[in-house]
Amino acid sequence: MKKSEFYRELEEVLEADSGSISGDEVLADFDAWDSLAVLTFIAMVDEKFEVTLTASKLALVKTVTDLVALLGDKITV
Amino acid sequence: MELSGRRILVTGASSRIGRETTILLSLLGASVIVVGRNAEQLGITLLSLEGNLHHVYAFDLSNVDEIPRWMKDVTYAIGPLHGLVHSAGVQCTRPLRIMSSESLEELMRVNVTAAIFLAKGFRQKGVSVAGGSIVYLSSVMGLVGQSAQSAYSASKGALVTLTKSLALELSGENIRVNSVAPAMVRTEMSKKMLQLLTPEQIIQIEAMHPLGFGQPRDVANAIAFLLADTGKWITGTSLVVDGGYTSR
Repeated sequence: MKKSEFYRELEEVLEADSGSISGDEVLADFDAWDSLAVLTFIAMVDEKFEVTLTASKLALVKTVTDLVALLGDKITV
Repeated sequence: MELSGRRILVTGASSRIGRETTILLSLLGASVIVVGRNAEQLGITLLSLEGNLHHVYAFDLSNVDEIPRWMKDVTYAIGPLHGLVHSAGVQCTRPLRIMSSESLEELMRVNVTAAIFLAKGFRQKGVSVAGGSIVYLSSVMGLVGQSAQSAYSASKGALVTLTKSLALELSGENIRVNSVAPAMVRTEMSKKMLQLLTPEQIIQIEAMHPLGFGQPRDVANAIAFLLADTGKWITGTSLVVDGGYTSR
């Protein structure tokens, strides 16, 4: 998946406006980034990438860029 | 508890609770018909059983319409059943905002529709003997709620009331229908579910179980109790096996 497509998926998870995510955002700044959003994100990644993330790994993530890094080569430029 | 000479079909026998149930039933003297999707896993289950009167069938329960016919074929080959345990099930942690009808329907198909069609198959002439006993694997999630578990809890709650209606419908045919409702038991399914939680959240969930998390054998004991003559005056009930989870 392209990075831009991933941002749109993430906007869905966070229920953020389309185009509002561009990579440098800090997740904690989103009111919607709560435990339910974390579960939603894990489910989305499971469905779209067939990758199983753990909550422990996600707990270390601070920014959108960190999320992209977590998915490694599953996300292309 | 005594199950000597009883033939009992167990679905989901390659899962942890299903496997533990088949082991206990074999120790109690039953001949177990081990059913699951994964032939290799079923072979492992078979090796762990006591005695040699057991059978393995790989069958995909999502082919619900084929279940009654398939049960006829199986019992024609090996003899009629005394009991049935439906422990196959799909767990899915999905907040509403990412729920899809596709995943919901798949879950309902295995957890609920297959349960109904297994009962339909079980009551057929020649498939079960008089005094048969059906046990479904429900969950405390079918009795109380939890965020992100709406699909799973809807399916497990459906089993609680399905149990009651079938108990009434099948009492005239001398078939008992019950379910077991466990809370968190350490299994592969719960391991996958617990991966979605942080260590702090897992501690919180364990604290909601006054007696801690359960073991597969705790659930298997309840299932065997309902299958054996110990449960002969019990029908339509959901036996809660939850370490106190729903006592609050």
